[in-house]
Amino acid sequence: MSRPLAQLLASAAFVLAAALLAYRQRLNLSRSLLIAAARAAAQLAVVGALIALVFRVPALAIAFVAVMVLTASLTAGSRMRALPGARRIAVSAIALPALSAVGVLLAIGAFAATPRATIPTAGILIGGAMLATTLTGRRLVEGLADGVDEIEARLSLGDRARDALAPLTRRAIAGAMVPLIDQTRSAGLVTLPGTFVGLVLGGASPGTAARVQLVVLLTLLLVQLLSALLTAELVTRAATLPGERVLALGAPA
Amino acid sequence: MSAASSDRIDGLAARDLHVARGERAVLREVSFDAPKRTVVALVGPSGAGKSTLLRCLNRLHVPDRGRVLLDGEDTAALDPCTLRRRVGLVGQTPVMLPGSVRENVAYGLDAPTAADAGRLTRALREAGLDTSFLDRAASELSGGERARVALARALTRAPELLLLDEPTAALDAAVARHIAATVRALARDGLGVVVATHDLAFAADVADRVVALRDGTAVSGAPAELLAAARDDGATVRPAHEEPRA
Repeated sequence: MSRPLAQLLASAAFVLAAALLAYRQRLNLSRSLLIAAARAAAQLAVVGALIALVFRVPALAIAFVAVMVLTASLTAGSRMRALPGARRIAVSAIALPALSAVGVLLAIGAFAATPRATIPTAGILIGGAMLATTLTGRRLVEGLADGVDEIEARLSLGDRARDALAPLTRRAIAGAMVPLIDQTRSAGLVTLPGTFVGLVLGGASPGTAARVQLVVLLTLLLVQLLSALLTAELVTRAATLPGERVLALGAPA
Repeated sequence: MSAASSDRIDGLAARDLHVARGERAVLREVSFDAPKRTVVALVGPSGAGKSTLLRCLNRLHVPDRGRVLLDGEDTAALDPCTLRRRVGLVGQTPVMLPGSVRENVAYGLDAPTAADAGRLTRALREAGLDTSFLDRAASELSGGERARVALARALTRAPELLLLDEPTAALDAAVARHIAATVRALARDGLGVVVATHDLAFAADVADRVVALRDGTAVSGAPAELLAAARDDGATVRPAHEEPRA
């Protein structure tokens, strides 16, 4: 049996086994499992074909990265829908840090300026920026809904709106960064990160794979912190009303 | 309304405040005076617009129409932060900020001076707390203690007027009486106090004047009359210029 065929058969058999097991245990999950598997297969097939095309026509790489930024921004923006201009906030907070980092890495020659190197790197950094933006944004939106009393207490004591929001934004940034820092700390011990796995499977030496993975992980830390800070700043601006007031989501009676 | 005859009030004056939330009018052309050295009780059922009215007075809420004057000056023209230091507000839920009681009470006083320290001790005493509270964690206080810390925190800023939103909501009767005595003493010392409350006994205890809110409309007058009317479920509380509706 050829290797591709073996891979296809094995994964199809495994997902069918999972669906059957779920059915037998009456978990009511079989349908969701099969649909998720089918979606993943279709998406990866399309992405595989698209990337093959992009590798042949390098100019398309820019469009491909733009689509990644847009998709990430829509996802992160939907988590802070309650805020005016949520999507604009998400685009800026994701694109600026992630694309700047890609630019720096390419400019100093850390990665080859080819679609084959650029697209996966951009993908990881955009994904990380999306996660930081989503986590920070969601905490800020929750804080603007549940923490209105505290914010208004500070305003009533004479704080500027920005100062009254500062404790909330600091907590949101710290809260968003903790899981991301944990992830970096446990890299290689608990999980083998994707870049490492991909490079090794693709034939790179483990040493090379580890080095590239380290560059990605450490770049991610700065990108994610910048995304979180940018999200906090843009949300602060969106939530500040004229006259040193703060937009309350779920306004008090 | 007779109370709203002049705009040169030494203290706060609300003039024709109108606030709508969607289709519903929360406040309808509300006017009343809250001079210094005076305790004004805002009474009315919950949802009558008492909190919204208080929030208009320190511009946490900007009314759709109407003005709020402080010593005759339109508060819309003042820096909001300066206004809020001159007109303190203690909200309905006494929010404790992270840290000790001292950090709460001294909040926002960057580089406290000796005068600040004296004011802090005095504010604590006025709120019915002694200095042994200063180093306790604010998060460990009871509801009644929190209410008093919030009051002390507002007083440390030496406001000219103080807005209290349901100050007795979390308190037992004895503590409520203490707060009432404090409010009276503060007013004697020159502070203007506006206290929103649904507790009519407390209102009768503290108020020089009563403003009754009903369906967003205000009627002001002598406490005894209005409180009696409010007790009768407001059936006879109507603006002088408006005929009772059928």
